[in-house]
Amino acid sequence: MTDVTMTINGQTRSASVPPETTLLQLLRENFNLTSAKLGCDVGDCGACTVIVDGHAVNSCLMLAGQADGRQVLTIEGLASREHLHPIQKAFENSGALQCGFCGPGVLLSAKALLDDNLDPSTQEIRDALSGNLCRCTGYTKMIEAVQEAARLLREESRTQLTHARPEVATP
Amino acid sequence: MNEHSRVLERDKLDIAEPLSDVELRLPAVLPRESYPIETLTPDARQQTRAVGQRVTRPDGRLHGLGQTKYIDDLSFPGMLYARIKRAGIASARIKRIDTSAAEAMPGVMAVLTGKEIPVNSFGPSFQDQPVLVDDLVFHAGDGVAAVAAVTEQIANEALEKIVVEYEPLPAVLDPVAAMREDSPKVHAPNSNIYATKTIRKGDVEKGFAESDYIFEDRFSTQMIEHVSLEPHAAIADWDANGRLTIWATIGRITLARADIARTLKLPMSRIRIIGTIVGGNFGGKNEISQEPALALLSKKTGRPVKGVFTRGEEFTSTTTRHPIIMDYKTGVTNKGRILARQIRLVLDGGAYCSWSETTLGKACILAPGPYKIDNVLSEAFVVYTNKTMTGAMRGFGAPQVCFAYESQMDDIAKKLGIDPLEIRLLNAFDEGSPSPTGQVLHSVVIKESLRKAADRFDWEPRS
Repeated sequence: MTDVTMTINGQTRSASVPPETTLLQLLRENFNLTSAKLGCDVGDCGACTVIVDGHAVNSCLMLAGQADGRQVLTIEGLASREHLHPIQKAFENSGALQCGFCGPGVLLSAKALLDDNLDPSTQEIRDALSGNLCRCTGYTKMIEAVQEAARLLREESRTQLTHARPEVATP
Repeated sequence: MNEHSRVLERDKLDIAEPLSDVELRLPAVLPRESYPIETLTPDARQQTRAVGQRVTRPDGRLHGLGQTKYIDDLSFPGMLYARIKRAGIASARIKRIDTSAAEAMPGVMAVLTGKEIPVNSFGPSFQDQPVLVDDLVFHAGDGVAAVAAVTEQIANEALEKIVVEYEPLPAVLDPVAAMREDSPKVHAPNSNIYATKTIRKGDVEKGFAESDYIFEDRFSTQMIEHVSLEPHAAIADWDANGRLTIWATIGRITLARADIARTLKLPMSRIRIIGTIVGGNFGGKNEISQEPALALLSKKTGRPVKGVFTRGEEFTSTTTRHPIIMDYKTGVTNKGRILARQIRLVLDGGAYCSWSETTLGKACILAPGPYKIDNVLSEAFVVYTNKTMTGAMRGFGAPQVCFAYESQMDDIAKKLGIDPLEIRLLNAFDEGSPSPTGQVLHSVVIKESLRKAADRFDWEPRS
């Protein structure tokens, strides 16, 4: 068994799991965070995307032990009880998610992009989402939604809101 | 109710006198009220206010929050995990299945084979598909046994312990060869051609005789898997009262209920199907797959059983789009007017019928294309082969034939030196044109659409 301790959505969580456990299994089965999905189990589809130390990763390809001591963000940690994250708001308003299975992964890939670059070009958005497959939307509205989210985030950083949106949900 | 509160109630409702018993009584039959019946039916091509409006999905927020519960996100106390052993051979007779080693494994709660299924056949039009094969293997993705275990890992290991001995049989892989009389039969003694359709209009021979040019081409398309991001998944719970509840990613739950009732020999009233949010369907989740096997595993163990296909199983063991071999013979005048078109479609139906009949009909009717052709002969055949079954997928055969007739239109235009847009405008349906089956068509805007599209992307005539 491998002992792992990591910060998930702002909270420290520990578990003791068999060494072959993937980060995806750890999140879904041990921590009951089911937003990251099992689509292909080989790192092709991106439905299991989560953010580890600021980078979007396929959690089905990362062992739980490799995430030991790191910061993990899943979609459950993106919104607070009071506020949707601007990316979530933009995806909802654009109708960018249809069946929604790829959604959590796509949103987190977009978040990893927008954390680095608040004014991405269409090509940069395409590149950032290239690891996330979607069979419903044709990606057009997703790209529009990421552009809209970037606009909302730029506005937010310009106005320097005093009551800033909390980064991480409080349970 | 005390005196005080009654006074308060009265004040609030402003009732001067209490109503009498007669006044309070509702009539047995309510007096008939008539409402003005006004149905807003927009005229054809009328722009309604809905057009051009942006709509959002009511479940869009839950998707974005990661709160949508797909099957794999659900779990129940005591739940077991099922896996299915796949044949891995296209055509064979099962000589022996030995499940004893798998059954002896700690953590394995039940093993199921095809012989234990009460009625081992289902399908939306022909009931030719077994839940798990019991005697003959019809394609490599067929299930031969199912295992329920306390973890998915144990279930996977148990599959490796199941020993199946096969006697390999000749496999039919080419749909055209499968049509020959001397070909091995996939479902012997029945013919491999399991459905046909013919559409005849005018006289194609006469049309070809009058034509200046005749084009003969063969087009073919490949098998396509829907690849919905969510794999096929279900949870079955056969409770102690003999009632079965199934959570399933199925688009057509009523049809699924009938199929499950048939395979399990259980009255439909004892089956409850809960259609959860489907993580992508595209026609691939229009019928049952593993559900009866999960139900029987649940019956054997008395515990809920979850089954989720792997991505590999999605490709080998669920329905796909029909590959079609399409022979087109088209007679045209030297001005580009189509006088006759003869079409022969051979649909590769795979091992089972599934929605092939529907696909066959639609492909056959749409095969001549949206063009005014006086002489049409369209024949379509769907054929069994020892391959993954083909079924419903977006368009039901229409995309395949569209690829063929539009490719040939381009070839004709090039040969005759006519602009590809012009040749389509010359032949396309008008308002009131009859379709190949004689249906008079309304709201026909193909020419306007083509012109508008050409205008939008600055089409330059080429010939």
